[in-house]
Amino acid sequence: MEPANTLRRDRDKGGVLAHLERLETRVNRSHKQSEELQRAQAAENALGTKIHKLRYLRDKLRAEVKHRQVSRKVKASIANVEPDQIVDTSGKEVLERKLENVKATLQAYRFTGISAKLTSRGVCVCINTAFEGNLLESYFVDLVIQKPLWIHQHSVPIFIPLEEIAAKYLQTDIQHFLFSLCEYLNAYSGRKYQADRLQSDFAAFLTGPLQRNSLCNLLSFTYKLDPRDQSSPFCARLLYKDLTTTLPADVTVTYQGTEALSTSMEEQRASHETLFCTKPLHQVFASFARKGEELDTSLAS
Amino acid sequence: MDETVAEFIKRTILKIPISEMMTVLKAWNFLPENQLQTINFRQRKESVIQHLLLLCEEKCASINDAALLDIVCTQVHRHKKIWDVFRMSKEPGDDVDLFDMNQFKSSFKKVLQRALKNVTVSFRETEENEVWIRVAWGTHYTKPQQYKPTYVVYYPQTPYVFTSSRLTRNITLLGQALTIASKHHEIVKMDLRSRYLDSLKAIAFQQYNQVFEIHNSTLPLQERRLALDSRIIHENRVEKERVQRITQESFGDYPQPQLEFAQYKLETKFKSDVNGGILAERKEPLRCLIKFSSPHLLDALKSLAPAGIADAPLSPLLTCIPKKKMNYFKIRDK
Repeated sequence: MEPANTLRRDRDKGGVLAHLERLETRVNRSHKQSEELQRAQAAENALGTKIHKLRYLRDKLRAEVKHRQVSRKVKASIANVEPDQIVDTSGKEVLERKLENVKATLQAYRFTGISAKLTSRGVCVCINTAFEGNLLESYFVDLVIQKPLWIHQHSVPIFIPLEEIAAKYLQTDIQHFLFSLCEYLNAYSGRKYQADRLQSDFAAFLTGPLQRNSLCNLLSFTYKLDPRDQSSPFCARLLYKDLTTTLPADVTVTYQGTEALSTSMEEQRASHETLFCTKPLHQVFASFARKGEELDTSLAS
Repeated sequence: MDETVAEFIKRTILKIPISEMMTVLKAWNFLPENQLQTINFRQRKESVIQHLLLLCEEKCASINDAALLDIVCTQVHRHKKIWDVFRMSKEPGDDVDLFDMNQFKSSFKKVLQRALKNVTVSFRETEENEVWIRVAWGTHYTKPQQYKPTYVVYYPQTPYVFTSSRLTRNITLLGQALTIASKHHEIVKMDLRSRYLDSLKAIAFQQYNQVFEIHNSTLPLQERRLALDSRIIHENRVEKERVQRITQESFGDYPQPQLEFAQYKLETKFKSDVNGGILAERKEPLRCLIKFSSPHLLDALKSLAPAGIADAPLSPLLTCIPKKKMNYFKIRDK
């Protein structure tokens, strides 16, 4: 019996210490667990109170908003005005309106003829051309602001003497450069407009194709006042020696036929020469058209 | 129809690929549409050519008609020739250019015919204010050589002229004819040459980009960021952005005009930090030719710094090519 007892005792001894250890760890674990539980519960409680607070705040704000809306409606109904028209002092709407105004102003600058925008290296100038109230082509010049000032790129037509104008004015007087370029471009647009209008609207008067060049500063055409007329046409040659103008400096109208010119035809020829010098081309032909109509109506009546 | 004319037309048509033939013939505008419809382009090329020659024979094609066909072909394949650029200038007090196309043509022809007697001069105007001139050169005693013509592209009322560079003897005469006919004073050859006529035009007229920043543009050109793939971490982000910015300033955002080479002729003294060396002690300048070639040179130069191959900013000798309108440089010591 002794060995079994000693054995048991030994096992128990090692066992007792181990047992004690096991009990200790068990207690520690349960302590930890209860601590964690306590902590979790505390956190839960804290969050719960936070939720309560936020809900309370939200309800308060909702009530406030409702109250304000109601009061605004009330004020509006008193003042007999739509609720939307009441000046809202909130900053956002004021800013938005200012932005719209500025954008509209910038867009309206197109109508002044020159507008510009700052770029990373200089300024991009936009020249909007117009003739007789019609807005025509826009051209851009991208300038790099360095010493010396240079043109990076542009959309000016190749036959406009941009290099010449730049050589004269770009380094010394940018304003002069821009205004000079503006003059050339507006005049070119105007001449082109007149030539285009003649070709499209008054083709009935022309007996041959309109001869023109790139700058539209030399126009040559043959025309008859009355297409049904059997007599020979007139031949007109318009020279625009000044590239900044839209009216020709030099006009010659000749009679194509071999027979001598009657005095009335001669008068017509001379008057046409003056007309082409003083009025834009398409307007001259418009007046021919009107006279033709008047003549028709007077003949018919 | 003259035998030489027939032969010339035949050889010209032979150069056109079948796929382009209809377009070219329509542009030529010599054979009417209904006749062109009768041609079967599916047969062998020789048969097509035979049919075309018959039609031309019926219409009595002249050398001038043949020359016009040649111009149309060259216009379609303009990159097969190398083009030189010339610049004309006027006297400061000269009158405004009242360009009359008919007067220009007759004046140009007259100058050449007076000098050489036998020349074939043909003109073809296109929509974009440009006129193509073809000159087949002969002499007082020989007929014009139709197979080695010179082409000139001129934009009226501008100073620039582009010629297919095959000129040797007749270059001065051509220059004379151009200046007299266009009422300019002087013509000078520029150091600019390429196959790509449209790129040369863009460089000469400084119109390689037609997209401009306007105030209501919604493209924020400045807000270029490096490709933001979240899986890639750029180590030298600041440096990379600096390189991008500098490249954009030098080359811009737009497609570059196409050039195939840039050539630098150096006549400078060799400078070396290391004392001694064979090259360092010469009194005469070192003669050296550096040529950069590429199917698209400016694109290649633009990608050098971002690819890390070169430092940014690139040498101004490379970046100034479109601005200075040159791709041939002579560099000497100052």
